[in-house]
Amino acid sequence: MLAAEAGGQRRFEVEADTVGSVLRSLPVANLVFDERGQLRQLVNVYVDGVDVREHDGMDTRLTGSEEIRLVAAIAGG
Amino acid sequence: MPTLLVGTRKGLFVLSSDDERREWAVSAPVLKGWEVFHAVPDPRDDSVYAATNSFVYGATVHRSQDRGETWTRAAELGLPEETGLTLEKTWHLRPGREAEDGRLWLGGAPGVLFRSDDSGATWEAVQSLVGHESRDRWNPGAGGMCCHSIQLDPDDPERMYVAISAAGTFRSEDGGESWELANSGVAADFFPDNPFPEVGQCVHKLLVHPARPERLWQQNHCGVYRSDDHGRNWERLEGNGLPSGFGFPIMLDPSDPDTAFVIPEEGAENRVTPDGRLGVYRTRDGGQSWERLDGGLPHPAWVAVLRESSSFDDGGVYFGTQSGSVFASADGGDTWVEAATHLPPILSVEAADWR
Repeated sequence: MLAAEAGGQRRFEVEADTVGSVLRSLPVANLVFDERGQLRQLVNVYVDGVDVREHDGMDTRLTGSEEIRLVAAIAGG
Repeated sequence: MPTLLVGTRKGLFVLSSDDERREWAVSAPVLKGWEVFHAVPDPRDDSVYAATNSFVYGATVHRSQDRGETWTRAAELGLPEETGLTLEKTWHLRPGREAEDGRLWLGGAPGVLFRSDDSGATWEAVQSLVGHESRDRWNPGAGGMCCHSIQLDPDDPERMYVAISAAGTFRSEDGGESWELANSGVAADFFPDNPFPEVGQCVHKLLVHPARPERLWQQNHCGVYRSDDHGRNWERLEGNGLPSGFGFPIMLDPSDPDTAFVIPEEGAENRVTPDGRLGVYRTRDGGQSWERLDGGLPHPAWVAVLRESSSFDDGGVYFGTQSGSVFASADGGDTWVEAATHLPPILSVEAADWR
């Protein structure tokens, strides 16, 4: 769904200091974040394979060429 | 060309037919992954708008300018922090009047109304309703506290109505700047100590008759009602042919203000066709009497029709079921054809006229 909402684009190259800055620059930012700017509960974010909730969440610092993946949680019907 | 926009739990389907409305072609789904609570054509510029919801990505609105092939999503939609509310669902869309370029109205949960003046790109909460003084007496129904009906008076550019479950009907005489309660005579039997409160009614669907705009109809949790004075007073209508006053959809005949159609369900605790006898009930005398119509409808059938899942146009009456069938009648409800079957659960049906 996110790729469809981004015009079919699945990968973006972004320069930013934090995970939150990267995600807020995406054309799907208002799907990833709610109206209070909080990451939606069922959206999982991984930096090089590690859940950012195990780091500093949206404040997780980026240093170089990390790969960030957005994955919808397993839920629903 | 008669067209139906059919919102489902798994995207939007477009059904198209000819003027006889007997054979229907069903499109592949668009807006895949989204629950389409309502999709509506905008005849001003041939756009389509959809109230779309995702359990992962939240509530939004999509717009298509090429009849559903490609879509853009609202850029800004949410409730201001000072309201203390957050947007739960988008429910219902209403394009503005012909002269109101770019204006749309959007109803959502929890009991909120938005206005856009840029063709759905950005939306502003209507504070006069969001902060209405009666809000502490509103309660959510089973589907949440949804603002599901938005009706514009075709004659008076300042008069409009919204309906919220379970808050009731509200009328504005100043284009949405202020709202009056419009629930006099409408029961709320679930308040046994005060079954006719000023506010808190569980209206399920509200319609203004397009040719006689002082006449309003509503299907309520507690009966079917008609008002002939812009909603100031309501008359309860069932008991003379209807098996139940409970139901969700209501349909009208745009050429006859005395005709309406409802699809009763057994009751609040069992929301399904009474006794498996699916029928559309029609009145031609303003609700004084009702007749059951079932020509072409399956029997037995235990179906449920949601509040947005019916529509009408100059030549047809339509409804869709949670079991994924769409039924269409081109003869005022006397006979029906199954226009589509095996769709995902249907959330909404809206007629369009695409040439």
